[in-house]
Amino acid sequence: MQSIIAGYNYWIYILLMMIGLYAMLAKNNLVKKVIGMSIFQTAIIVFYVSIGAKEHATIPIIAHGHGHGAVEAAIDAAHYANPLPHVLMLTAIVVSVGTLGVALAICLGIHRRYNSLEEDEIQEQLQ
Amino acid sequence: MIWQLDLSVLTLIVICAFATIMVKDLLSAAIIFGAYSFLMCLLWTEMGAVDVAFTEASVGAGVSTVLFFAAVHQTSRKVKPRKSGRWFSKIIALMAALLTGLVLIIAEADFPGFASPFSPASLHLSPYYITQTLHDTNVPNMVTSVLADYRGFDTMFETAVIFTAGLAVIAILRRYKKEDRCDLPEPYVISAGYPDTMIRFVARQLVPFIQLFALYVVAHGHHSPGGGFQGGVILGASFILLAVSYDSKMIIGRMSEKWNVLLGNIGVLIYAGIGFLCLLLGANFLDYSMLSKVLPATDKIMARSHGMLGIEIGVAIAVMAIVISIYINIISHGKYDKVE
Amino acid sequence: MDIVVVILLVIGLLFFFATTIGLLRLPDFYSRMHAAGKGDTLSSLLILLALVLYEFHEVNLANLLVAMKILLIVVFIFMASPTATHAITDAGFESGVKPWTKNPEEES
Repeated sequence: MQSIIAGYNYWIYILLMMIGLYAMLAKNNLVKKVIGMSIFQTAIIVFYVSIGAKEHATIPIIAHGHGHGAVEAAIDAAHYANPLPHVLMLTAIVVSVGTLGVALAICLGIHRRYNSLEEDEIQEQLQ
Repeated sequence: MIWQLDLSVLTLIVICAFATIMVKDLLSAAIIFGAYSFLMCLLWTEMGAVDVAFTEASVGAGVSTVLFFAAVHQTSRKVKPRKSGRWFSKIIALMAALLTGLVLIIAEADFPGFASPFSPASLHLSPYYITQTLHDTNVPNMVTSVLADYRGFDTMFETAVIFTAGLAVIAILRRYKKEDRCDLPEPYVISAGYPDTMIRFVARQLVPFIQLFALYVVAHGHHSPGGGFQGGVILGASFILLAVSYDSKMIIGRMSEKWNVLLGNIGVLIYAGIGFLCLLLGANFLDYSMLSKVLPATDKIMARSHGMLGIEIGVAIAVMAIVISIYINIISHGKYDKVE
Repeated sequence: MDIVVVILLVIGLLFFFATTIGLLRLPDFYSRMHAAGKGDTLSSLLILLALVLYEFHEVNLANLLVAMKILLIVVFIFMASPTATHAITDAGFESGVKPWTKNPEEES
Protein backbone atom coordinates (compact mmCIF):
# COMPACT_ATOMS: atom_id res chain seq x y z
CA MET A 1 0.00 0.00 0.00
CA GLN A 2 2.80 2.37 0.88
CA SER A 3 4.54 1.78 -2.42
CA ILE A 4 1.32 2.45 -4.34
CA ILE A 5 0.90 5.77 -2.52
CA ALA A 6 4.53 6.71 -3.14
CA GLY A 7 4.29 5.67 -6.77
CA TYR A 8 1.01 7.58 -7.22
CA ASN A 9 2.60 10.78 -5.93
CA TYR A 10 5.58 10.67 -8.24
CA TRP A 11 3.53 9.64 -11.28
CA ILE A 12 1.14 12.55 -10.76
CA TYR A 13 4.07 14.97 -10.91
CA ILE A 14 5.31 13.37 -14.09
CA LEU A 15 1.77 13.59 -15.52
CA LEU A 16 1.54 17.29 -14.64
CA MET A 17 4.89 17.99 -16.26
CA MET A 18 3.82 16.19 -19.41
CA ILE A 19 0.53 18.13 -19.54
CA GLY A 20 2.56 21.33 -19.44
CA LEU A 21 4.96 20.05 -22.11
CA TYR A 22 2.09 19.00 -24.38
CA ALA A 23 0.44 22.40 -24.02
CA MET A 24 3.68 24.17 -24.93
CA LEU A 25 4.17 22.04 -28.05
CA ALA A 26 0.72 21.37 -29.46
CA LYS A 27 -1.43 24.38 -28.67
CA ASN A 28 -1.93 27.03 -31.31
CA ASN A 29 -2.60 30.03 -29.12
CA LEU A 30 0.37 31.84 -27.58
CA VAL A 31 -1.30 32.48 -24.21
CA LYS A 32 -2.12 28.78 -23.94
CA LYS A 33 1.58 28.04 -24.43
CA VAL A 34 2.40 30.45 -21.60
CA ILE A 35 -0.14 28.68 -19.38
CA GLY A 36 1.54 25.37 -20.24
CA MET A 37 4.89 26.85 -19.20
CA SER A 38 3.42 27.87 -15.84
CA ILE A 39 1.95 24.40 -15.29
CA PHE A 40 5.38 22.87 -16.01
CA GLN A 41 7.07 25.22 -13.53
CA THR A 42 4.61 24.51 -10.71
CA ALA A 43 4.90 20.76 -11.29
CA ILE A 44 8.68 21.01 -10.79
CA ILE A 45 8.05 22.92 -7.56
CA VAL A 46 5.69 20.18 -6.33
CA PHE A 47 8.43 17.63 -6.98
CA TYR A 48 11.04 19.49 -4.96
CA VAL A 49 8.69 20.16 -2.06
CA SER A 50 7.72 16.50 -1.92
CA ILE A 51 11.40 15.58 -1.62
CA GLY A 52 11.64 17.81 1.43
CA ALA A 53 8.56 16.41 3.15
CA LYS A 54 8.96 14.04 6.06
CA GLU A 55 6.45 11.78 7.75
CA HIS A 56 5.21 12.91 11.17
CA ALA A 57 7.21 16.11 10.82
CA THR A 58 6.04 19.61 11.50
CA ILE A 59 6.60 22.88 9.66
CA PRO A 60 10.16 24.26 9.65
CA ILE A 61 9.58 26.90 12.32
CA ILE A 62 10.93 26.22 15.78
CA ALA A 63 8.08 26.58 18.24
CA HIS A 64 8.74 29.22 20.81
CA GLY A 65 6.59 30.84 23.44
CA HIS A 66 5.25 34.31 23.08
CA GLY A 67 8.10 35.92 24.94
CA HIS A 68 11.63 35.90 23.58
CA GLY A 69 13.11 33.32 25.89
CA ALA A 70 15.62 30.88 24.55
CA VAL A 71 14.35 27.46 23.54
CA GLU A 72 15.73 24.88 25.90
CA ALA A 73 14.53 21.66 24.34
CA ALA A 74 16.84 19.77 22.00
CA ILE A 75 16.01 20.23 18.35
CA ASP A 76 15.81 16.94 16.52
CA ALA A 77 16.30 17.17 12.77
CA ALA A 78 13.78 14.44 12.01
CA HIS A 79 10.95 16.45 13.60
CA TYR A 80 11.05 19.31 11.12
CA ALA A 81 10.47 19.32 7.40
CA ASN A 82 13.59 19.91 5.34
CA PRO A 83 13.90 23.68 4.78
CA LEU A 84 16.43 23.57 1.94
CA PRO A 85 14.05 22.65 -0.94
CA HIS A 86 11.61 25.27 0.37
CA VAL A 87 14.23 27.98 0.00
CA LEU A 88 15.08 26.93 -3.55
CA MET A 89 11.42 26.85 -4.50
CA LEU A 90 10.75 30.32 -3.05
CA THR A 91 13.30 31.65 -5.51
CA ALA A 92 11.74 29.55 -8.29
CA ILE A 93 8.24 30.91 -7.71
CA VAL A 94 9.33 34.53 -7.72
CA VAL A 95 11.47 34.07 -10.83
CA SER A 96 8.55 32.32 -12.52
CA VAL A 97 6.29 35.32 -12.00
CA GLY A 98 8.96 37.56 -13.52
CA THR A 99 9.19 35.21 -16.49
CA LEU A 100 5.39 35.23 -16.80
CA GLY A 101 5.36 39.03 -16.96
CA VAL A 102 7.98 39.11 -19.72
CA ALA A 103 6.22 36.29 -21.66
CA LEU A 104 2.89 38.14 -21.58
CA ALA A 105 4.62 41.36 -22.65
CA ILE A 106 6.08 39.51 -25.66
CA CYS A 107 2.58 38.18 -26.49
CA LEU A 108 1.25 41.75 -26.41
CA GLY A 109 4.05 42.94 -28.66
CA ILE A 110 3.38 40.14 -31.16
CA HIS A 111 -0.35 40.94 -31.17
CA ARG A 112 0.37 44.61 -31.82
CA ARG A 113 2.58 43.78 -34.81
CA TYR A 114 0.69 40.88 -36.44
CA ASN A 115 -2.85 41.43 -35.07
CA SER A 116 -3.20 37.79 -34.10
CA LEU A 117 -2.24 35.47 -31.29
CA GLU A 118 -2.42 32.23 -33.26
CA GLU A 119 0.80 30.55 -34.23
CA ASP A 120 -0.15 29.47 -37.76
CA GLU A 121 -1.51 32.90 -38.75
CA ILE A 122 1.70 34.54 -37.56
CA GLN A 123 3.79 32.06 -39.50
CA GLU A 124 1.74 32.78 -42.64
CA GLN A 125 2.40 36.48 -42.27
CA LEU A 126 6.08 35.87 -41.76
CA GLN A 127 6.45 34.41 -45.24
CA MET B 1 1.32 14.47 5.89
CA ILE B 2 -2.14 12.99 5.63
CA TRP B 3 -1.97 10.77 2.60
CA GLN B 4 -5.70 10.78 1.87
CA LEU B 5 -5.71 14.57 1.62
CA ASP B 6 -2.55 14.41 -0.47
CA LEU B 7 -4.06 12.06 -3.04
CA SER B 8 -7.41 13.84 -3.35
CA VAL B 9 -5.84 17.28 -3.78
CA LEU B 10 -3.42 15.87 -6.38
CA THR B 11 -6.32 14.40 -8.36
CA LEU B 12 -8.13 17.77 -8.32
CA ILE B 13 -4.92 19.47 -9.46
CA VAL B 14 -4.63 17.18 -12.49
CA ILE B 15 -8.29 17.82 -13.40
CA CYS B 16 -7.72 21.59 -13.19
CA ALA B 17 -4.57 21.34 -15.32
CA PHE B 18 -6.45 19.40 -18.03
CA ALA B 19 -9.30 21.92 -17.92
CA THR B 20 -7.00 24.93 -18.20
CA ILE B 21 -5.46 23.91 -21.46
CA MET B 22 -8.65 22.52 -22.99
CA VAL B 23 -11.14 25.40 -22.68
CA LYS B 24 -11.79 27.52 -25.73
CA ASP B 25 -12.00 30.86 -23.92
CA LEU B 26 -8.89 32.57 -22.60
CA LEU B 27 -10.60 34.30 -19.66
CA SER B 28 -11.96 30.98 -18.41
CA ALA B 29 -8.49 29.47 -18.78
CA ALA B 30 -7.06 32.28 -16.63
CA ILE B 31 -9.69 31.73 -13.91
CA ILE B 32 -9.15 27.97 -13.85
CA PHE B 33 -5.41 28.67 -13.64
CA GLY B 34 -6.12 30.73 -10.51
CA ALA B 35 -7.99 27.77 -9.01
CA TYR B 36 -5.07 25.48 -9.96
CA SER B 37 -2.67 27.79 -8.13
CA PHE B 38 -4.86 27.78 -5.01
CA LEU B 39 -4.98 23.98 -5.00
CA MET B 40 -1.18 23.90 -5.31
CA CYS B 41 -0.99 26.22 -2.28
CA LEU B 42 -3.21 23.81 -0.31
CA LEU B 43 -1.05 20.83 -1.32
CA TRP B 44 2.14 22.51 -0.18
CA THR B 45 0.64 23.52 3.18
CA GLU B 46 -0.33 19.91 3.72
CA MET B 47 3.24 18.80 2.92
CA GLY B 48 4.67 21.22 5.48
CA ALA B 49 5.99 23.91 3.12
CA VAL B 50 4.17 26.92 4.59
CA ASP B 51 6.51 29.62 3.26
CA VAL B 52 6.28 28.25 -0.27
CA ALA B 53 2.48 28.04 0.03
CA PHE B 54 2.30 31.65 1.24
CA THR B 55 4.39 32.82 -1.71
CA GLU B 56 2.33 30.83 -4.19
CA ALA B 57 -0.93 32.15 -2.72
CA SER B 58 0.15 35.76 -3.08
CA VAL B 59 2.21 35.50 -6.27
CA GLY B 60 0.68 32.64 -8.23
CA ALA B 61 -2.98 32.84 -7.37
CA GLY B 62 -3.00 36.61 -6.95
CA VAL B 63 -0.68 38.49 -9.25
CA SER B 64 -0.35 35.87 -12.01
CA THR B 65 -4.11 35.69 -12.54
CA VAL B 66 -4.36 39.49 -12.71
CA LEU B 67 -1.51 39.62 -15.25
CA PHE B 68 -3.28 37.01 -17.41
CA PHE B 69 -6.49 39.03 -17.23
CA ALA B 70 -4.65 42.19 -18.19
CA ALA B 71 -2.96 40.52 -21.15
CA VAL B 72 -6.20 38.91 -22.40
CA HIS B 73 -8.00 42.24 -22.01
CA GLN B 74 -5.52 43.94 -24.33
CA THR B 75 -5.54 41.19 -26.97
CA SER B 76 -8.33 38.88 -27.98
CA ARG B 77 -10.31 36.43 -25.91
CA LYS B 78 -11.09 33.71 -28.41
CA VAL B 79 -9.00 30.68 -29.26
CA LYS B 80 -9.11 29.75 -32.92
CA PRO B 81 -8.33 26.19 -34.00
CA ARG B 82 -5.41 25.49 -36.26
CA LYS B 83 -6.25 25.80 -39.95
CA SER B 84 -4.32 22.82 -41.30
CA GLY B 85 -2.12 20.10 -39.97
CA ARG B 86 -4.12 19.79 -36.76
CA TRP B 87 -3.67 16.08 -36.11
CA PHE B 88 -0.06 16.07 -37.20
CA SER B 89 1.06 18.58 -34.59
CA LYS B 90 -0.99 16.91 -31.86
CA ILE B 91 0.48 13.50 -32.59
CA ILE B 92 4.05 14.81 -32.63
CA ALA B 93 3.54 16.65 -29.33
CA LEU B 94 1.87 13.63 -27.75
CA MET B 95 4.72 11.37 -28.79
CA ALA B 96 7.32 13.79 -27.44
CA ALA B 97 5.47 14.09 -24.13
CA LEU B 98 5.00 10.32 -23.83
CA LEU B 99 8.67 9.65 -24.56
CA THR B 100 9.84 12.14 -21.95
CA GLY B 101 7.30 10.78 -19.47
CA LEU B 102 8.52 7.24 -20.08
CA VAL B 103 12.13 8.21 -19.41
CA LEU B 104 11.08 9.94 -16.18
CA ILE B 105 9.02 6.96 -15.01
CA ILE B 106 11.97 4.64 -15.59
CA ALA B 107 14.07 7.01 -13.49
CA GLU B 108 11.39 7.01 -10.79
CA ALA B 109 12.37 3.54 -9.66
CA ASP B 110 15.53 5.03 -8.17
CA PHE B 111 13.79 7.76 -6.21
CA PRO B 112 13.96 7.63 -2.41
CA GLY B 113 10.89 6.55 -0.52
CA PHE B 114 8.21 9.20 -0.34
CA ALA B 115 8.43 11.39 2.79
CA SER B 116 11.11 9.31 4.48
CA PRO B 117 13.46 11.11 6.87
CA PHE B 118 16.40 9.20 5.42
CA SER B 119 16.19 10.45 1.86
CA PRO B 120 19.54 11.85 0.68
CA ALA B 121 18.20 15.41 0.52
CA SER B 122 17.65 15.42 4.27
CA LEU B 123 20.87 13.83 5.38
CA HIS B 124 23.90 15.95 4.58
CA LEU B 125 23.56 19.68 5.12
CA SER B 126 19.99 20.32 6.22
CA PRO B 127 20.32 18.79 9.73
CA TYR B 128 23.01 21.42 10.37
CA TYR B 129 20.62 24.17 9.28
CA ILE B 130 17.78 22.80 11.39
CA THR B 131 19.75 22.35 14.59
CA GLN B 132 22.01 25.39 14.39
CA THR B 133 19.78 28.18 13.11
CA LEU B 134 18.58 29.29 16.55
CA HIS B 135 22.09 29.10 17.96
CA ASP B 136 23.75 30.97 15.10
CA THR B 137 21.20 33.62 14.19
CA ASN B 138 18.43 33.65 16.84
CA VAL B 139 15.74 33.38 14.14
CA PRO B 140 13.20 30.57 14.66
CA ASN B 141 12.01 30.43 11.03
CA MET B 142 14.52 28.12 9.36
CA VAL B 143 13.44 29.03 5.84
CA THR B 144 14.07 32.74 6.44
CA SER B 145 17.45 32.13 8.01
CA VAL B 146 18.59 29.86 5.17
CA LEU B 147 17.17 32.26 2.55
CA ALA B 148 18.58 35.48 3.94
CA ASP B 149 21.71 34.43 5.79
CA TYR B 150 23.16 31.05 4.86
CA ARG B 151 22.22 31.36 1.15
CA GLY B 152 22.13 35.16 0.93
CA PHE B 153 23.89 35.34 -2.46
CA ASP B 154 21.05 33.47 -4.17
CA THR B 155 18.48 35.89 -2.82
CA MET B 156 20.48 38.91 -3.90
CA PHE B 157 20.68 37.74 -7.49
CA GLU B 158 17.02 36.73 -7.40
CA THR B 159 16.13 40.32 -6.53
CA ALA B 160 18.32 41.44 -9.41
CA VAL B 161 16.42 39.01 -11.69
CA ILE B 162 13.08 40.54 -10.70
CA PHE B 163 14.45 44.00 -11.42
CA THR B 164 15.71 42.81 -14.81
CA ALA B 165 12.27 41.37 -15.61
CA GLY B 166 10.70 44.76 -14.90
CA LEU B 167 13.24 46.46 -17.15
CA ALA B 168 12.61 43.87 -19.89
CA VAL B 169 8.86 44.56 -19.85
CA ILE B 170 9.59 48.29 -20.14
CA ALA B 171 11.96 47.65 -23.04
CA ILE B 172 9.42 45.48 -24.89
CA LEU B 173 6.24 47.46 -24.41
CA ARG B 174 6.93 51.07 -23.68
CA ARG B 175 6.16 53.60 -26.41
CA TYR B 176 7.18 57.20 -26.03
CA LYS B 177 6.41 59.13 -29.22
CA LYS B 178 2.85 60.07 -30.09
CA GLU B 179 3.16 59.12 -33.72
CA ASP B 180 4.90 55.83 -33.05
CA ARG B 181 4.21 53.40 -35.85
CA CYS B 182 1.85 50.65 -34.83
CA ASP B 183 -0.55 48.41 -36.67
CA LEU B 184 -3.49 48.63 -34.32
CA PRO B 185 -6.87 49.12 -36.01
CA GLU B 186 -8.23 51.50 -33.37
CA PRO B 187 -6.60 53.49 -30.57
CA TYR B 188 -6.13 51.61 -27.33
CA VAL B 189 -7.13 53.63 -24.30
CA ILE B 190 -6.22 53.04 -20.71
CA SER B 191 -9.07 51.03 -19.29
CA ALA B 192 -11.30 53.38 -17.33
CA GLY B 193 -14.02 51.41 -15.63
CA TYR B 194 -17.39 52.95 -14.94
CA PRO B 195 -17.53 54.57 -11.46
CA ASP B 196 -19.18 52.24 -8.99
CA THR B 197 -19.62 53.66 -5.51
CA MET B 198 -19.66 50.47 -3.52
CA ILE B 199 -16.56 48.91 -5.04
CA ARG B 200 -14.62 52.15 -4.76
CA PHE B 201 -15.64 52.69 -1.15
CA VAL B 202 -14.77 49.20 0.02
CA ALA B 203 -11.47 49.21 -1.87
CA ARG B 204 -10.56 52.56 -0.38
CA GLN B 205 -11.29 51.28 3.13
CA LEU B 206 -9.45 48.00 2.71
CA VAL B 207 -6.21 49.21 1.10
CA PRO B 208 -4.59 50.73 4.23
CA PHE B 209 -5.18 47.52 6.17
CA ILE B 210 -3.81 45.40 3.34
CA GLN B 211 -0.67 47.51 3.31
CA LEU B 212 -0.37 47.29 7.10
CA PHE B 213 -0.67 43.53 6.84
CA ALA B 214 2.02 43.47 4.16
CA LEU B 215 4.42 45.40 6.43
CA TYR B 216 3.56 42.96 9.24
CA VAL B 217 4.43 40.04 6.96
CA VAL B 218 7.81 41.59 6.13
CA ALA B 219 8.67 42.36 9.74
CA HIS B 220 7.35 39.12 11.25
CA GLY B 221 9.12 36.88 8.77
CA HIS B 222 11.55 35.77 11.44
CA HIS B 223 8.92 34.16 13.62
CA SER B 224 6.18 33.03 11.25
CA PRO B 225 5.82 32.23 7.56
CA GLY B 226 6.50 35.39 5.64
CA GLY B 227 9.41 37.53 4.62
CA GLY B 228 10.35 40.07 2.02
CA PHE B 229 8.88 38.54 -1.14
CA GLN B 230 5.43 37.83 0.20
CA GLY B 231 5.17 41.28 1.82
CA GLY B 232 6.37 43.04 -1.32
CA VAL B 233 3.89 41.22 -3.53
CA ILE B 234 1.01 42.01 -1.15
CA LEU B 235 2.04 45.70 -1.20
CA GLY B 236 2.03 45.66 -5.00
CA ALA B 237 -1.33 43.86 -5.01
CA SER B 238 -2.87 46.62 -2.88
CA PHE B 239 -1.95 49.14 -5.58
CA ILE B 240 -3.38 46.83 -8.26
CA LEU B 241 -6.62 46.70 -6.24
CA LEU B 242 -6.78 50.50 -6.40
CA ALA B 243 -6.08 50.43 -10.13
CA VAL B 244 -8.82 47.88 -10.76
CA SER B 245 -11.51 49.59 -8.70
CA TYR B 246 -10.74 53.14 -9.83
CA ASP B 247 -8.80 53.49 -13.05
CA SER B 248 -5.15 53.16 -13.88
CA LYS B 249 -4.59 56.93 -13.95
CA MET B 250 -4.97 56.97 -10.17
CA ILE B 251 -1.91 54.86 -9.47
CA ILE B 252 0.07 56.27 -12.39
CA GLY B 253 -0.29 59.63 -10.68
CA ARG B 254 1.00 58.13 -7.43
CA MET B 255 3.62 55.67 -8.67
CA SER B 256 4.97 57.12 -11.89
CA GLU B 257 7.42 55.25 -14.07
CA LYS B 258 10.38 57.15 -12.69
CA TRP B 259 9.47 56.21 -9.11
CA ASN B 260 8.88 52.57 -9.97
CA VAL B 261 12.29 52.10 -11.55
CA LEU B 262 13.92 54.18 -8.82
CA LEU B 263 12.34 52.13 -6.03
CA GLY B 264 13.32 48.89 -7.76
CA ASN B 265 16.87 50.17 -7.91
CA ILE B 266 16.82 51.26 -4.26
CA GLY B 267 15.66 47.81 -3.18
CA VAL B 268 18.55 46.02 -4.90
CA LEU B 269 20.90 48.75 -3.67
CA ILE B 270 19.85 48.23 -0.04
CA TYR B 271 20.59 44.54 -0.36
CA ALA B 272 23.98 44.95 -2.02
CA GLY B 273 24.73 47.96 0.18
CA ILE B 274 24.39 45.95 3.37
CA GLY B 275 26.72 43.40 1.84
CA PHE B 276 29.28 46.07 1.00
CA LEU B 277 28.94 47.55 4.48
CA CYS B 278 29.95 44.20 5.92
CA LEU B 279 32.87 44.16 3.45
CA LEU B 280 33.97 47.63 4.57
CA LEU B 281 33.83 46.61 8.22
CA GLY B 282 36.34 43.86 7.62
CA ALA B 283 34.40 40.64 7.04
CA ASN B 284 33.22 38.74 3.99
CA PHE B 285 30.51 40.06 1.67
CA LEU B 286 27.07 39.61 3.30
CA ASP B 287 28.54 38.40 6.60
CA TYR B 288 26.13 40.19 8.93
CA SER B 289 27.92 39.46 12.19
CA MET B 290 30.25 42.40 11.56
CA LEU B 291 27.25 44.76 11.67
CA SER B 292 27.50 44.55 15.46
CA LYS B 293 30.20 47.22 15.22
CA VAL B 294 27.77 49.67 13.64
CA LEU B 295 24.48 48.86 15.38
CA PRO B 296 24.39 49.89 19.05
CA ALA B 297 24.09 47.27 21.78
CA THR B 298 23.88 44.14 19.66
CA ASP B 299 26.14 41.13 19.80
CA LYS B 300 27.16 39.12 16.78
CA ILE B 301 24.15 36.80 16.87
CA MET B 302 21.52 39.55 17.05
CA ALA B 303 23.39 41.49 14.36
CA ARG B 304 22.73 38.62 11.97
CA SER B 305 19.03 38.79 12.79
CA HIS B 306 18.94 42.55 12.17
CA GLY B 307 20.93 42.22 8.97
CA MET B 308 18.33 39.75 7.73
CA LEU B 309 15.56 42.25 8.49
CA GLY B 310 17.42 44.94 6.54
CA ILE B 311 17.74 42.89 3.40
CA GLU B 312 14.12 41.72 3.63
CA ILE B 313 13.06 45.38 3.58
CA GLY B 314 15.17 45.94 0.46
CA VAL B 315 13.61 42.91 -1.24
CA ALA B 316 10.08 44.06 -0.35
CA ILE B 317 10.64 47.53 -1.83
CA ALA B 318 12.07 46.12 -5.06
CA VAL B 319 9.35 43.50 -5.52
CA MET B 320 6.54 45.99 -4.87
CA ALA B 321 7.85 48.48 -7.41
CA ILE B 322 8.41 45.86 -10.11
CA VAL B 323 5.00 44.20 -9.66
CA ILE B 324 3.29 47.59 -10.04
CA SER B 325 5.46 48.45 -13.03
CA ILE B 326 4.76 45.18 -14.88
CA TYR B 327 1.02 45.50 -14.26
CA ILE B 328 0.80 49.12 -15.47
CA ASN B 329 2.83 48.36 -18.58
CA ILE B 330 0.65 45.41 -19.53
CA ILE B 331 -2.73 47.01 -18.81
CA SER B 332 -1.96 50.25 -20.62
CA HIS B 333 -0.08 48.58 -23.49
CA GLY B 334 2.96 50.69 -22.71
CA LYS B 335 1.33 54.04 -23.20
CA TYR B 336 0.92 55.33 -19.61
CA ASP B 337 -1.42 57.98 -21.07
CA LYS B 338 1.38 60.51 -21.12
CA VAL B 339 2.97 60.33 -24.52
CA GLU B 340 5.56 63.03 -24.53
CA MET C 1 -16.15 22.27 23.50
CA ASP C 2 -15.12 19.74 20.88
CA ILE C 3 -18.76 18.96 20.10
CA VAL C 4 -19.48 22.61 19.28
CA VAL C 5 -16.43 22.76 17.00
CA VAL C 6 -17.48 19.63 15.14
CA ILE C 7 -21.09 20.83 14.80
CA LEU C 8 -19.96 24.20 13.39
CA LEU C 9 -17.61 22.50 10.92
CA VAL C 10 -20.34 20.14 9.73
CA ILE C 11 -22.84 22.97 9.27
CA GLY C 12 -20.21 24.96 7.35
CA LEU C 13 -19.60 21.99 5.08
CA LEU C 14 -23.34 21.55 4.51
CA PHE C 15 -23.61 25.17 3.42
CA PHE C 16 -20.67 24.72 1.05
CA PHE C 17 -22.36 21.65 -0.39
CA ALA C 18 -25.58 23.62 -0.90
CA THR C 19 -23.58 26.42 -2.58
CA THR C 20 -22.01 23.99 -5.02
CA ILE C 21 -25.34 22.36 -5.89
CA GLY C 22 -26.85 25.81 -6.41
CA LEU C 23 -23.95 26.83 -8.65
CA LEU C 24 -24.50 23.81 -10.87
CA ARG C 25 -28.26 23.48 -10.98
CA LEU C 26 -29.70 26.98 -10.92
CA PRO C 27 -30.90 28.24 -14.33
CA ASP C 28 -29.12 31.51 -14.99
CA PHE C 29 -26.21 33.79 -14.11
CA TYR C 30 -27.92 35.99 -11.49
CA SER C 31 -29.37 33.17 -9.39
CA ARG C 32 -26.00 31.40 -9.49
CA MET C 33 -24.35 34.55 -8.14
CA HIS C 34 -26.91 34.51 -5.29
CA ALA C 35 -25.84 30.99 -4.38
CA ALA C 36 -22.10 31.59 -4.83
CA GLY C 37 -21.87 34.91 -3.02
CA LYS C 38 -24.01 34.26 0.01
CA GLY C 39 -23.24 30.59 0.55
CA ASP C 40 -19.50 31.14 0.18
CA THR C 41 -19.33 33.91 2.75
CA LEU C 42 -21.47 32.13 5.33
CA SER C 43 -19.65 28.80 5.09
CA SER C 44 -16.25 30.47 5.41
CA LEU C 45 -17.48 32.33 8.47
CA LEU C 46 -18.79 29.19 10.15
CA ILE C 47 -15.63 27.18 9.54
CA LEU C 48 -13.39 30.01 10.79
CA LEU C 49 -15.58 30.41 13.91
CA ALA C 50 -15.10 26.71 14.56
CA LEU C 51 -11.32 27.26 14.39
CA VAL C 52 -11.59 30.19 16.81
CA LEU C 53 -13.45 28.02 19.33
CA TYR C 54 -10.85 25.28 18.88
CA GLU C 55 -8.11 27.68 19.96
CA PHE C 56 -9.74 28.09 23.37
CA HIS C 57 -8.74 24.62 24.53
CA GLU C 58 -6.24 26.28 26.82
CA VAL C 59 -6.52 29.99 27.44
CA ASN C 60 -3.18 31.79 27.37
CA LEU C 61 -1.86 34.85 25.59
CA ALA C 62 -0.61 33.09 22.46
CA ASN C 63 -3.90 31.33 21.77
CA LEU C 64 -5.81 34.55 22.44
CA LEU C 65 -3.74 36.35 19.83
CA VAL C 66 -4.28 33.58 17.28
CA ALA C 67 -8.04 33.70 17.93
CA MET C 68 -8.03 37.48 17.42
CA LYS C 69 -6.14 37.13 14.16
CA ILE C 70 -8.68 34.60 12.88
CA LEU C 71 -11.49 36.99 13.86
CA LEU C 72 -9.80 39.74 11.85
CA ILE C 73 -9.77 37.39 8.84
CA VAL C 74 -13.52 36.87 9.41
CA VAL C 75 -14.08 40.64 9.32
CA PHE C 76 -12.04 40.92 6.12
CA ILE C 77 -13.98 38.15 4.38
CA PHE C 78 -17.25 39.73 5.50
CA MET C 79 -16.26 43.00 3.83
CA ALA C 80 -14.56 41.74 0.70
CA SER C 81 -16.59 38.74 -0.46
CA PRO C 82 -20.00 40.48 -0.92
CA THR C 83 -18.22 43.34 -2.73
CA ALA C 84 -16.68 40.85 -5.12
CA THR C 85 -20.10 39.29 -5.74
CA HIS C 86 -21.51 42.74 -6.43
CA ALA C 87 -18.68 43.47 -8.85
CA ILE C 88 -19.23 40.27 -10.82
CA THR C 89 -23.01 40.75 -10.98
CA ASP C 90 -22.60 44.37 -12.09
CA ALA C 91 -20.16 43.32 -14.78
CA GLY C 92 -22.65 40.75 -16.01
CA PHE C 93 -25.44 43.33 -16.11
CA GLU C 94 -23.32 45.87 -17.98
CA SER C 95 -22.35 43.18 -20.52
CA GLY C 96 -26.02 42.51 -21.20
CA VAL C 97 -26.65 39.09 -19.66
CA LYS C 98 -30.42 38.62 -19.68
CA PRO C 99 -32.23 37.07 -16.71
CA TRP C 100 -33.99 33.74 -17.10
CA THR C 101 -37.71 33.88 -17.68
CA LYS C 102 -40.13 31.06 -17.10
CA ASN C 103 -42.15 31.11 -20.33
CA PRO C 104 -40.05 31.02 -23.51
CA GLU C 105 -42.76 32.45 -25.77
CA GLU C 106 -42.50 35.83 -24.03
CA GLU C 107 -39.00 36.32 -25.41
CA SER C 108 -39.94 36.45 -29.04
